[in-house]
Amino acid sequence: MANPAAIAVGSEQYSRIVEWLNCEAELLDTGQDRKWLETMVSKEIVYQVPLRQTVERARGTGFATTTFHLDESYGSLMSRVLRNESGFAWAEDPPSRIRHFVTNIRVAQLENGQLGVRSNLLIYRTRRDQTQPQLLSGERQDVLGAEDGALKLYRRTILLDLTVIETHNLAIIF
Amino acid sequence: MSSDKTNKDLSDRLLEELQHGLPRGEIPAALFGNEDIYRLELRNIFARCWVFLAHDSEIPAVGDYVRRKIGEDNFIVVRDDDGEIHALFDACRHRGVQVCRADSGNTSVFLCPYHGWSYDTKGNLLGAPLWKNAFGDMSKEDNGLLSVAKLATYNGLIFATLDPSAPALEEYLGGMKWYLDMVFGLNEHGVEVIGPPQRFVVDANWKSGAENFSGDDYHLGTLHRSAWSIGAFPVPFADNMMGYHIQASAGHSLSLSMAPTEDDPGPKFFAYPDDLARTFNTSRLNPEQLRIARRSRVFVGNVFPNFSILCVPMTDDGAHFPPTGVLTIRIWQPMGPGRVEAWNWFCAIRNMTPMQKERVYKSGLASFSMGGVFEMDDTEPWILAARTGRSVSAEVLDLKLNYKMGLPGVGIARREENWPGPGVAYWPRYEEGVQRNLFRFYSEMMRAERGVWPKFSVD
Repeated sequence: MANPAAIAVGSEQYSRIVEWLNCEAELLDTGQDRKWLETMVSKEIVYQVPLRQTVERARGTGFATTTFHLDESYGSLMSRVLRNESGFAWAEDPPSRIRHFVTNIRVAQLENGQLGVRSNLLIYRTRRDQTQPQLLSGERQDVLGAEDGALKLYRRTILLDLTVIETHNLAIIF
Repeated sequence: MSSDKTNKDLSDRLLEELQHGLPRGEIPAALFGNEDIYRLELRNIFARCWVFLAHDSEIPAVGDYVRRKIGEDNFIVVRDDDGEIHALFDACRHRGVQVCRADSGNTSVFLCPYHGWSYDTKGNLLGAPLWKNAFGDMSKEDNGLLSVAKLATYNGLIFATLDPSAPALEEYLGGMKWYLDMVFGLNEHGVEVIGPPQRFVVDANWKSGAENFSGDDYHLGTLHRSAWSIGAFPVPFADNMMGYHIQASAGHSLSLSMAPTEDDPGPKFFAYPDDLARTFNTSRLNPEQLRIARRSRVFVGNVFPNFSILCVPMTDDGAHFPPTGVLTIRIWQPMGPGRVEAWNWFCAIRNMTPMQKERVYKSGLASFSMGGVFEMDDTEPWILAARTGRSVSAEVLDLKLNYKMGLPGVGIARREENWPGPGVAYWPRYEEGVQRNLFRFYSEMMRAERGVWPKFSVD
């Protein structure tokens, strides 16, 4: 179980990662997508939510390797931010209420000096007068690295616990 | 409305109002939410019409299968040992249990988990445990998985119908074939799907997707205004309204955004890359089809009832990449009067370079997927239309929806008498005849007796 590269809970480095994740969740929960993109995300970001199918146990977890719900670069993420600022982004205006719950944080030192961060993610979302929330659960697999003295997100893969998505759109950042 | 009205009376009344209102462009809003109408749609439309199941590139090898739906019911679309494609009703003949347990895979046997009846990829019953003791001399031939009544493919698109009285697929598609060739048969290589479909469920009625893709170009200016503001789409709104609305055959409609002349500097061939477009040849297309495809910027269409096609220039990152032709196909799978599952595939032309395929996929995903800048706005009005559709007020106040655009005296669209393709064409696209065509065939199917088919011509 013990990963030799694991960074221990309670260590200074681990705490720094937790603070980073909390800060990120706060920006995403409060509609500060542009600030998130400009201050926490590397220009080299690869951000993917792979499709998933139900498959027999012998065939693995069912995650697609070439097709995605979202497959974003810095430029396409910026397109999303610009879209939401256009005043005509009906899907999220009025915006959904969204909250990111990030738990089970595991940090490991990668060979290239970056940090591998895995966490469990639960997104709670309501729209208009909905009383039943839309829930999206999954695992985040992040790679964080230093850039200009700050930690930046270089890679994010979201492994959803769903094959069919029941939320009216994916105008959200995981 | 009197309280002794039964539900049956109401759905009959709605269908009568549809029939009589259509020539005036009036459609009762309750069609988008009434429960009895929905039950009737499952029987009269989805259990009778040719419906799209899969693309043959999804099951290239012997034993490959995907699980798909007709109406609300599961079917196994599988390639047998001889390479033939079958669509088998996923219900064991013993107790009706589903024998296919995954969305896709490869197998030689479908095994029922209850008592162990097993079937081959043609649906034949192979046996069951301790067969001699249990079933002795019982015939296996009569106990295979049930199959669709007819299955056929066109340009790699696999369709099936549950109705043995249905006309052949090519007759059912009618004039729509000519236009499908312009998208799926641009060269001898044809298209392939890029990976498994994206699936998402929305609280909307399936007809909202079908009628939108039949040629609702007018919504772009408002609903999708944000897409222009970020440079995702290269043709201005008013220019994009130039083009044709085509009622290709009964129920099947499409819309082409077209440059006024071949010399227009805008996108050609849906903005497919030039070197790819040079492989688009006339061996499969006649010169008229090729000429129209060359001038086309956007193709959007719907094969009745719920198979939609969109070919459109898009980019995921306007600052770095020019728009490229993106082809998406989808089905609007009914799950209830106010619930629909969208299945969304992106397609590549087979002889594209890996880089071209990547641009197509990324641009398509960023625009026409549930996280795409176009599509994420689409679900919003469809959810709200379904809410109106199931409202008592729409029923009591007798809300009729307005489908009048392009009727005589309404707007500038005029019939194009010299249109070289099949069907009825209007120019420009300020026109809702494409939707009225869908609802006209819908109306006839909803009232047709079993075994009887409406006429397929649109004139």
